[in-house]
Amino acid sequence: MYPLEMFIVTTAMLFLFGLVALIMKRDLVRLLIGIEILFNAANLLFVALSTQTPGMIDPFPQSIVMMALVLDGTVIAVGLALALNVFKHYKTFDIKKLRKLKW
Amino acid sequence: MVGQGIISQGLQLPLPILITLLGGMATPFIGLISEKMRLRLTDAWMVLVSALSLYGVYTLYDQVSKTANHVLLIYSWGQTPPFSGCFEIDMLGVYMAFSIGLLSLLVSVYSISYMEHESRVTEFNTLVIFMVSGMYGIVMSGDLFTLFVFWELMGLASYVLVSFLKRNWGPIEAGFKYLVMSATAGAFLLLSMALIYGMAGTLNFAALASTLRGAPMTPWTILIFATLIVGFGVKSAIVPLHTWLPDAHPEAPSPISALLSGIVIETGLYALTRVLYIAFEPGFFKVPIAALALVTMTVGNLLALRQDDLKRMLAYSSIGQVGYMLIGISTGMTYGLLGTFLHIFNHSLMKGMAFLSVGSIVHETGTRDINKLKGVGRMMPWTTLSIFVAFMGLGGVPGTSGFISKFILFNASMGAGLSILALAGVLNSTLSMAYYLRVLIALLSKRTEETIEAKEAPILMVGVAMVMAVLIIVLGFYPSPIVGIASDASKSLIEGLTNYIGAVL
Repeated sequence: MYPLEMFIVTTAMLFLFGLVALIMKRDLVRLLIGIEILFNAANLLFVALSTQTPGMIDPFPQSIVMMALVLDGTVIAVGLALALNVFKHYKTFDIKKLRKLKW
Repeated sequence: MVGQGIISQGLQLPLPILITLLGGMATPFIGLISEKMRLRLTDAWMVLVSALSLYGVYTLYDQVSKTANHVLLIYSWGQTPPFSGCFEIDMLGVYMAFSIGLLSLLVSVYSISYMEHESRVTEFNTLVIFMVSGMYGIVMSGDLFTLFVFWELMGLASYVLVSFLKRNWGPIEAGFKYLVMSATAGAFLLLSMALIYGMAGTLNFAALASTLRGAPMTPWTILIFATLIVGFGVKSAIVPLHTWLPDAHPEAPSPISALLSGIVIETGLYALTRVLYIAFEPGFFKVPIAALALVTMTVGNLLALRQDDLKRMLAYSSIGQVGYMLIGISTGMTYGLLGTFLHIFNHSLMKGMAFLSVGSIVHETGTRDINKLKGVGRMMPWTTLSIFVAFMGLGGVPGTSGFISKFILFNASMGAGLSILALAGVLNSTLSMAYYLRVLIALLSKRTEETIEAKEAPILMVGVAMVMAVLIIVLGFYPSPIVGIASDASKSLIEGLTNYIGAVL
């Protein structure tokens, strides 16, 4: 059993960094990286919690992390494809320029 | 068992999911053949897959009602539930699957005509089938992680479908916004799953209901509740998280708007309801959900008032309708949940029909601006009739099925001691008639020189809308069949919970 506090603090910090990246950054690709950081924070918490069962390491959360990595990878891939299409129409990766639709 | 054995009789899937997954995988090959033969085979294939999956839902209903305690359990490779992913199908799942199957069948017939002049129809059909498959998976899954996998399948298909008409800038921008918000919500959902696993040691619904439910309120349970609301709330457009919806739903092709507004946001709401009722006592989330319901319906209806874009107006009206459905969840009673799930079915028909009929108008005239559509309704009488029926149903006029579900919802909120919600709901219904009638006045006003010339939409598009109109009116005067199934379904979350736990564990 590893001590859990350090992992929880790291997860919270990573989540905070991801949210800050989503709010502050203007580049489309950096937004997608922010989302990836959010997913990885949740995955880290899963892996840390898998060691907490007494006497064993639970394989269930680790298999979940494997599947979740695949899922967020596909989401980011679709996001990058859309970012390319955005560049075709707007000639920029700046999110502040994507204001043609009303918010 | 229901599923077919794929890998040495090991991998079991419920029949609708199996049909849609295999059908979706086969669609590109059908597309290759149909390009060679210059036939439109993929459209016929999509209708066939949707009809077969609806039949699969029927056989599932048969099997679920024959099992002893009305819960059908499907698991793979001999792994028993608390430690592995599985499907747990109860009456609620079958009921939601029926709504999904019915709307997707109607939409797939409609899109034969609508997508006639578009290229890349094969990709379109493949993505629609996969989105429907994801929704089936969400309503049938028996643990949070299976739900998450199908949640992302539905999400991925819908991101691409929103930005499908990629030659314009609008769909691309709306699709990117939708993707960023939904993927962030997915990360929140994964975090809430990790927290739930940390507290309970499992993600299975039945095991969660017997361990996590009734736990004392700590900062961790509040954190789980908050992350769940964010995670499910973005897809189901609860108000502080709704900003993607008024962009994404209008910019998508009209059949996709109908599917997204009609059933995808309701599937999100279903997932929220299921997980909340499994993991918490109703007293825990009564007040926050009631506050969200109040804000959601008021903001949705107020913003819809000042829209000039017809489809954008309908999208805001969807937000308002989600607010009505939240009322039923906040009551914490079977009667309120009956209202919610009945309204989900009725809304899927009414909003689906509204988007399909508006799609016919957009298809014929090429504009979505209400001010430019003056007098067009006189040239498209059948489409205007179906829009009339849909708007009356959405406004809750007696004689349509929308009246019955709204009546149950408001009645239940009075019974639960939240009469302010009933008051706000009635006021909002009145408010919503203002913008519905504005569209009808514009469509039916006299023709002038500026009126765009239009003719009636193709027979398939009008036919689908007419079928839905007949369903709405018939269910408005004779609601007992659907109310019966819905009350069976809504029982499974509160009274049937011990039965559910007993059937699985």
